[in-house]
Amino acid sequence: MNKITHLTLFLGIVSALAGGALAFANQLTAPIIAENEAKAAAENLMVMYPELDPAAIEKVDISGIDSKTIEEVYRYGDCLIFKMSVSGYKEGTTFLVSINVNDKTIDNFQAISNGDTKGIGSQVMDEPFKEGLLGKDASQDLDTISGATVSSSAVVNGIHEAANAVDQLKGE
Amino acid sequence: MENSRLKAFKNGLIKENPVFSLFLGICSTLAITTCVDNAIGMGIAVIIVLTMSNIIISLIRNITPDEIRIPVYIVVIATLVKIIQMLISAYAPSLNTSLGVFIPLIVVNCIILGRAEAFASKNNPMDSAIDGIGMGIGYTLAVLTMSLIREVISTGGFIVSNPFTTEKIFGITFIPEEYCISLFSSPVGAFITFACLAAAVGAYKAYADKKEAEAEKAKEVK
Repeated sequence: MNKITHLTLFLGIVSALAGGALAFANQLTAPIIAENEAKAAAENLMVMYPELDPAAIEKVDISGIDSKTIEEVYRYGDCLIFKMSVSGYKEGTTFLVSINVNDKTIDNFQAISNGDTKGIGSQVMDEPFKEGLLGKDASQDLDTISGATVSSSAVVNGIHEAANAVDQLKGE
Repeated sequence: MENSRLKAFKNGLIKENPVFSLFLGICSTLAITTCVDNAIGMGIAVIIVLTMSNIIISLIRNITPDEIRIPVYIVVIATLVKIIQMLISAYAPSLNTSLGVFIPLIVVNCIILGRAEAFASKNNPMDSAIDGIGMGIGYTLAVLTMSLIREVISTGGFIVSNPFTTEKIFGITFIPEEYCISLFSSPVGAFITFACLAAAVGAYKAYADKKEAEAEKAKEVK
């Protein structure tokens, strides 16, 4: 019995010391790690808003939203920036869409990658599609690309989903 | 004593190289040696963890009860690795991304537990530290050689960049792009490179042993 107490105590003390050391290291590095992550996220968003100030964006907690396509949401001024991942014919279409919370107009759109056929589905990455979206109400009908309906519809549905989530996230 | 310390240190480099001679820690060696940058980062992390864990385990070797020594070693090693991981993700985030899961996996790297059990638990902190540095450098040399061969064959040259800023420090190209063999950046290439290097180290070992035996024989005859 005595032996067991001794062993338990020894292992307990070693673990406690280890825990203490870890807590100390965590305290030292946690703020820097958080800053790095914010910077990495901001770099993504800067593709869309080149003049964006990394300090002005704020990550929004989306744990309350039941959606498979919304990956990340950031608040930037009056807009919510959604990082979406949708599937056309194949998986792997990701884009950023920035929606104004007041009137739900699309403030900006940026396709990051497209997994569908090059030259057809990949038209969602091109300028004309983006031009057709800017300024429109994100919750209303949006233009799809004829000839690339599946891919562009996937993106449009994604934007609708983001628009629905705006109401939920606006107040927070 | 000094001489034997130096010998112990040198042992870890080639003759008892943990990777090519003792065949320890091969999993991470095969996985991370796709480019020189990764190898340098991983090597430094392993040297630090190995040396620190050897010192700590050697310091507590007399008070550690024999029955629970392995759990105690694991706690010590895991704590060190976790601290290193936090430091890497704070100060060298790009290295953290490229090494990924292999940083936390240093915990189960057999070299570290192996040296703790075989050396640090029986020797004083000073010798253990030297053993740790020697074995760590041995591991680093192994991953560096492998990554150099793999990166040069698969991309034609190699690049060294500052892990803290991702700024390129040095880059050189030997082979034009048409002649690169991209197979070498895949696991198959890792196994081929590993086999060739292990064979070379084995041959060297056999040669050195033979020479040593001959020298001893000559001494006896005298």
